[in-house]
Amino acid sequence: MSETLYVQHLNEEARPLAYYLSKMDGYTALKKAFTMAPDDITAEVKKSNLRGRGGAGFPTGMKWGFIPKQSPKVKYLVCNADESEPGTFKDRDLMRYTPHLLIEGMVIGGFAIGSSIGYIYIRGEYTREAKLLQIAIDEAYEKGYLGKNILGSGFTFDLTVHRGAGAYICGEETGLLNSLEGKRGEPRVKPPFPAQSGAFGGPTIVNNVETLTNVPFIINKGGEWFAKLGKVEKSGGTRLISISGHVKKPGVYEIAAGAMTVRQLIYDVAGGILNDRKLKAVIPGGSSAPVLTADEIDVIYDIEPLAKVGTMMGSAALMVVSEDYCVVRLIERITKFYAHESCGQCTPCREGCKWMEDVLHRIEHGHGREEDLALLLDIADNINGKTLCALGDAAAGPVTSFVKKFKADFEAHIRGKRCPSA
Amino acid sequence: MPKCMIDGREAEFKPGQNLIEVARSAGIEIPYFCYHPGLTVVAQCRMCTVEIDKMAKLQTACSTPATEGMVVKTQSERAKKNQASVMEFLLINHPLDCPICDKSGECDLQDNSYKFGDLYQRYTEERRTYVDLDMGPVIKKNMNRCIHCTRCIRFGDEIAGIHEMVAVQRGNDTEITTVDGRPLETDYAGNYSDVCPTGSLTLKDFRFKKRAWFLKKTATVCEGCAKGCNMEVQQDANVVYRCLPRENLEINKWWLCDEGRFNYHYVNDSRRINIPVHQSGGLAPTNWSAALSSARAAVKGKKVTVLIGSDLTQEEAQLAKSQVPTLFPGAEMFHYGTPGVISAADDAPADKILKRKSKTSNLHGLERLGFKGFTAMPAGTQAVVVLRGGRATVPDLKGVTAVGVGVFSKPQVESFAAVLPGLSFVEKDGTIVNFEGREQKLKKAISAPGQSKPLSDIFKLWASAEAAR
Repeated sequence: MSETLYVQHLNEEARPLAYYLSKMDGYTALKKAFTMAPDDITAEVKKSNLRGRGGAGFPTGMKWGFIPKQSPKVKYLVCNADESEPGTFKDRDLMRYTPHLLIEGMVIGGFAIGSSIGYIYIRGEYTREAKLLQIAIDEAYEKGYLGKNILGSGFTFDLTVHRGAGAYICGEETGLLNSLEGKRGEPRVKPPFPAQSGAFGGPTIVNNVETLTNVPFIINKGGEWFAKLGKVEKSGGTRLISISGHVKKPGVYEIAAGAMTVRQLIYDVAGGILNDRKLKAVIPGGSSAPVLTADEIDVIYDIEPLAKVGTMMGSAALMVVSEDYCVVRLIERITKFYAHESCGQCTPCREGCKWMEDVLHRIEHGHGREEDLALLLDIADNINGKTLCALGDAAAGPVTSFVKKFKADFEAHIRGKRCPSA
Repeated sequence: MPKCMIDGREAEFKPGQNLIEVARSAGIEIPYFCYHPGLTVVAQCRMCTVEIDKMAKLQTACSTPATEGMVVKTQSERAKKNQASVMEFLLINHPLDCPICDKSGECDLQDNSYKFGDLYQRYTEERRTYVDLDMGPVIKKNMNRCIHCTRCIRFGDEIAGIHEMVAVQRGNDTEITTVDGRPLETDYAGNYSDVCPTGSLTLKDFRFKKRAWFLKKTATVCEGCAKGCNMEVQQDANVVYRCLPRENLEINKWWLCDEGRFNYHYVNDSRRINIPVHQSGGLAPTNWSAALSSARAAVKGKKVTVLIGSDLTQEEAQLAKSQVPTLFPGAEMFHYGTPGVISAADDAPADKILKRKSKTSNLHGLERLGFKGFTAMPAGTQAVVVLRGGRATVPDLKGVTAVGVGVFSKPQVESFAAVLPGLSFVEKDGTIVNFEGREQKLKKAISAPGQSKPLSDIFKLWASAEAAR
């Protein structure tokens, strides 16, 4: 196995500040960062090929570069810890076990973009992690890693934990910002992008937890070193992968970016399919990623290779489905989730997701019609790419891929007027 | 001016103008629901999506400013498919109760469905329904018809200045309602109905009274205050059914206050005096010649004061100015209209939106003609002639013998010697001058009710009666 940054620390022992300082070079990157010019930090992050770990995979250094140097308005750095994509649970471990890594990453990020106010917007269900983060933040304040004049640098950074209230859409960055501001959690029209006008109207960077925890490593060991960790082009560092579903060893794993195929992850890393059954399907990047069949898993598990086969790495949540599970029931359940989580602002998502759910429900329960499959594909096409935010795509992509790739399963439901596995 | 291409047509634009407006000025219609030129852009309905060269996805025209050389297609296969798709999405849960919907005939949903929708319906699931709450006296809510465009929410927040309309629940269950289900508070609530692109928010005042397509529309000006908001009077068979704001970006934009909107009610009110009346064991209907005799008898040989309502037009006031000295020699003239607003100097904004303190439309015009405001009855006044357009508040006449000329309601004139019925603001043409000195035209929308007559005719009758004596 190649070098890992995180997994060796993802345990209870690692949490205290003392461990972080002694075993993880804690806050040394911050000291180093203060000797650098903010632009040089951003340049180093650009060099590292760090791509956003939340789902979209946008190059982090480039994003930081969008922040205007001079701004009459206060700038903000917001950590997206909503981790709402089903199947994803890596950020939870990072916050639970290495909270100081996130704090250090945020202070460096704040210094780089010229922001003195940070928020961690954490998923409402992560009550324990919110408490642990607060304890770590209190420690950091006490030791001078947060607050005024951090480590004598003259730089001030205040960090606040803000708990969400359980909405998927608040993981979408502008929905998150609305929620943070106390408004209804629904996405904003873009442009303007948050880097121009984000939280409270100020230039804002929203980064995922894992993205920010990468920053101290990059500063300490250099962007080039980080880039070289990646085994595919344009993708630096390691990836934390949440593997769930019908595998023998579900959990959070770490691999060098692009070092393995989906097959290797399922069979070599996660121990193969539960009860040694056959693989039916894999959802590679959280429930919004189009599905892969058992024949399609010899693809390198990283952003570009997965995009090439029509799906996405998303939040690196691999959901594995064995042959004895009904894929119609699965897509019905996934679609129910998106219909429930649609914010309701825009027409195609509000109306279309529920419609797809209703049709899928009928099919799964033996009331499907021959024309339903064409209908589903058309509804999905009418949603895909036509909504205000990416939630519509997240709902439509899976439906399209399931209907196309598992057509026989759907037809068996419709013709047999029942779910064959029910 | 910079130019872009829309559907192969060259279109000039002002920097910052969005594609809906640019297309409109080039004669191309881009359909929309949530967009409103007076409200912030939210790009929620997705009806206005167009194809733009060099952009992979369809773009919402409302949120896309035109740029130099931009090539836009509003009628490409993709754009058309999306228009039909949005129409389908909006209608799957819509009750399609157009036959009994007051919005029918002037409904964006209906019109856009006709133009851009599909002939067939594929939806076979159960429709979504809501239980409606009462929103107070102005607006009737029918949530089942709602398409969640949020114009009403934005109108409240951005124009009325009150956050009372909100979205609750989410996704498919999203409901547009008031905060905590409370009744609406704004005195601009009628606009909620105007901005609603469906029959979800309708005026209780207009509900089930008339199909929209039977209404004849007259562009006129509100007489509710000195602001001079532009309005449209809508009538059928000589009955006014409603008044709606008419766009004027320099005065009222797209809005109208409820006071102005519902002011018209006195026009068709059963208590309005529209045949001549005089005292005959109480106020009693009579004919013109008898009423004129009574009126003349009431002022004959007396020191007369003439009160001129600042709800009269310039033309009427001018007429009074020239005729009064002949008809009532030695009479003093004053204008009146709003308690506490004696002169133009007392008129000021009454809120931060539209309303003015002067509750009559032509105070500033009358001052321009040299009339002074009424403060107290001149000493020795023995009879008073009150000219009124229908809106001005008649001051306390202290029991002096009075003759009314114009529009009055029965309870106002129980003690008057006679009333000679005149025309209200929807029954005559004329000019009014608003607070900023802008001259605007009142337009006749309906004919004179009963036996009421223009002021010029009444003065003529009076003069000829004097001459025949």
